[in-house]
Amino acid sequence: MSQEVKTDSPGDFLEELEKTRDSLPKRIAANPQNVEKGLAKLVLTLIELIRKLMEKQAMRRIENGSLSEAEVERVGETLMKLENKMVELKQIFGLEDEDLNLNLGPLGKLL
Amino acid sequence: MAAYIYGVIDSNDRLDAAMTGLKGTLLRNLPYRDMGVILSDFDKRIAPITKDHAFEHEKVVERLMEHFTVLPFRFPTVFDNEEGVLSMMSARYDNFTDNLRRLRGKMEFGIKVIWPGDKMRMRLTPDQNSSPLLASDTPVKNFLKKKFQEYQKEKKIENEAEARIALVDGFFDGLAAEKKLEKLKTENLLLCAFYLVEKGKQEDFRQAFERLRSSSGEFKYLFSGPWPPYNFIKTANS
Repeated sequence: MSQEVKTDSPGDFLEELEKTRDSLPKRIAANPQNVEKGLAKLVLTLIELIRKLMEKQAMRRIENGSLSEAEVERVGETLMKLENKMVELKQIFGLEDEDLNLNLGPLGKLL
Repeated sequence: MAAYIYGVIDSNDRLDAAMTGLKGTLLRNLPYRDMGVILSDFDKRIAPITKDHAFEHEKVVERLMEHFTVLPFRFPTVFDNEEGVLSMMSARYDNFTDNLRRLRGKMEFGIKVIWPGDKMRMRLTPDQNSSPLLASDTPVKNFLKKKFQEYQKEKKIENEAEARIALVDGFFDGLAAEKKLEKLKTENLLLCAFYLVEKGKQEDFRQAFERLRSSSGEFKYLFSGPWPPYNFIKTANS
């Protein structure tokens, strides 16, 4: 019995599989100089996850028409302020969108 | 003496042929009731751990697979001594028995599919049929409209992906005892599928892949196997 790997596009598969490997940091970079940034990255990633979930839930409810006009206004304003605040915090800590990415396994990537 | 573990097999017999494992060490089968643990004896822990070691580990498991049902262990698994191995076997014997029974005579095959997800995303135009709830023109509503369009776009892509995966999976209908389908691990990697296939159906499975491969020009396919059933072992926690 011999193993077989068969494809017409080995380069394309290699490239895509390399991308899946990038989903986890190779190590947690923490030292006295960057501990604040490292901590901010961790906390902001979690906030970003929750924010995205809230956003998705809101979109579902808008789609289903299960929100009143006033609720849409309120949800929209909250999401908008949250997004602006996240932009502000990312700037303060020198973080990019990609820094806050998370691989959520079968759910895909956060960003 | 430390014990480096490759896997558990459905036999407690001594290995027939002299087999070598990591760093040329001899393999032996440590019997435990009706099964055995394939291991190498080491004076000390393996260091440094290299990619070559991982390949050697994998090769041993593949060779074992030719003769036995194997529950491969994660690379690198090292116990301080033989007593530790036997204690682990005692604790997990029932789980190993269930796995060996379920996986007997079966092997794993992998199918991966690439689709032009990035191009599809660019081609998709925003849906103009927004929700009536977002009709008015205020900063908040405009913000929500943008978000809603992104949400609808993602949903379209997901639905399309689900439909394509169902088509691909349909080619292997009735050929696998179990399967695991992982969707969109990257934008273009539509599917990473793992199928557990009985020995007698392996040829049919290969032929099904060939039919799949010749069915569509725009997708790219990768077939691999047979492998030890890495993705189908159920631990007590899974």
